Amino acid sequence: MTSRFKVFAKEFRKGWSGYLFIAPGYIAFIAFMLIPILFAISLSFYKASFNLDARQFVGFAQYIQLGQDLVFIQALQNTINYTLVIVPSTVLISLMVALLVDPLGPRMQGFFRGAFYLPGVAGGVVLSVVYLWIFNPTYGLLNYVLGLFGIEPVLWLATSPHSFQAVCAVVLTFTIGQPIILFLAGLAGISQDVLDAATVDGANDLQKAIYIRLPLLRPVILFVVATQTIQVFQLWEVIYMVTRGGPFNSSTSLVFLIYQTAFENSNYGKASAIGVVLMLIIMAFTLVQLKFWNKSDI
Amino acid sequence: MSSEPMEQDIYRLAVEKTTRLLSYVLLTLLAITFLLPLYWMFTGSFKLQSVTMALPPEIFPTNPTLENWTRLFTGPWPVWRWVLNSMAVSLLTVVLVLAISSLTGYGFGKKKFPGSNALFIILLSTMFLPNQVILIPLFLLVHGLHMTSTTLGTYFAMAMPMISSPFGIFLIKQFCSTIPDELLDAARIDGASEWGVFTQIVLPLLKPALAALAIFTFNQAWNYFMWHFVIATDKSQYTLPVGISIISRTPAIGKMLTDIGLTMAGGSFGAFFMIVLFVAFQQYFIKGITFGAVKE
Repeated sequence: MTSRFKVFAKEFRKGWSGYLFIAPGYIAFIAFMLIPILFAISLSFYKASFNLDARQFVGFAQYIQLGQDLVFIQALQNTINYTLVIVPSTVLISLMVALLVDPLGPRMQGFFRGAFYLPGVAGGVVLSVVYLWIFNPTYGLLNYVLGLFGIEPVLWLATSPHSFQAVCAVVLTFTIGQPIILFLAGLAGISQDVLDAATVDGANDLQKAIYIRLPLLRPVILFVVATQTIQVFQLWEVIYMVTRGGPFNSSTSLVFLIYQTAFENSNYGKASAIGVVLMLIIMAFTLVQLKFWNKSDI
Repeated sequence: MSSEPMEQDIYRLAVEKTTRLLSYVLLTLLAITFLLPLYWMFTGSFKLQSVTMALPPEIFPTNPTLENWTRLFTGPWPVWRWVLNSMAVSLLTVVLVLAISSLTGYGFGKKKFPGSNALFIILLSTMFLPNQVILIPLFLLVHGLHMTSTTLGTYFAMAMPMISSPFGIFLIKQFCSTIPDELLDAARIDGASEWGVFTQIVLPLLKPALAALAIFTFNQAWNYFMWHFVIATDKSQYTLPVGISIISRTPAIGKMLTDIGLTMAGGSFGAFFMIVLFVAFQQYFIKGITFGAVKE
């Protein structure tokens, strides 16, 4: 026992500067991440509004109520639907763009990479304000263009499921840029020898894409699916800007519901409970998708 | 040489040329679709209100006007103050994240000490947590301490949720592992202190990683709209995206309708800063995205 302690003490003395180096980051982590998370978890067991001193312990009551809360169930369903629409679309479009851009020269590559990334740099708020105009039922660009094809005007933001589709369209504008850059980097890493060998064997471009490039891109695709899913789960600003969750909560999301519950209705306890549920879902998703990773992928 | 392979070559060349042409057309169409909102916003900022609502829409403004831009800069909105606020909050976030990530990333990447693995895994496990969970406790803290009563307090409050950056620490730790131990040991033998090794050997080598992290963090902090929106209580405290969202919700004077031209000018103004940053530092943006995700 004492010798074990001595070994530890010796290592500790040898590594003391290590503790000093990580100290600032760890203190910040504890103060601005760990304590807030623990506080949010504890808050979810209380009925709490703006006056925190008057909070009441209610145990799991708020979690049980969430199970019967139709708005919460709708928000959860929508969040899953957003993920099921946006993530596969993002992966497919960005993969296609990357495969088309990859054979181009460095100049054109840079141009297209920048062009598709630009909307994401501008940010969700900026894009939302212009989309509000584009979606306007009477003088918006979208209904005008659809009208050219003989399609009747659509009340994009005021009817379901169009408001949901509208949010998806806005989000897609700025989610594809990052995956394109990742896929292009992944494609550039595929050795030319492998592709040349396939050419000698008589494979055409499509076959090479399907049988060689896609399997070799697997780790990047998994990474994109993981990060995009987590991002879409946290969808908020576009919903706030474009539909405010409406009509009748048909386009709301979990995070938008957290915002409304906490910052519009000052119901911090219930909002924390929704936050904890969201956290558990994301944790479960992360664990499940870790199963898809090989050791060699990391 | 027989003529057959030559014919084959010509055929293959023709196919290659056609596919290349087709992919150019497809790419251009896609790029136009995705850039259209930005184009529509920018040209819209030069249109009069009557023109913004005209049918058929003017694809290119025939009578461009500067009226919206003049109103944006001379109206009741302190837009330059919002730019200053956005710059201050983003820079403060970058400075804090860079200082913390470089120190802590180096500590985890190059130092051996009991418990380092466990401590690192606890930290990393929060990387994918939804940030919104911590906003409620932080909001209560900001209000409890009246942090938004001073300008500096507001800036710090706005930077607060991003200070703990597991991603930044992870990035720097990975980057540190590419630095050979011999280099650090050599400096120690030459009599450098631990702090000296860090500042004189490690930090210069970390420059490219820190640059990528800085750009990435700046962009994220700039667009961290929800939090800024929630804690700003006065229009002098808005960041640029918050201000733009407020303009877009304010009807034109004497009308019930949104002031589209002004909103588009505001949006273009807001996009301008990030686009300039992106064009100037594109390579760092890309490094920040691909680092750690793609093996090179």
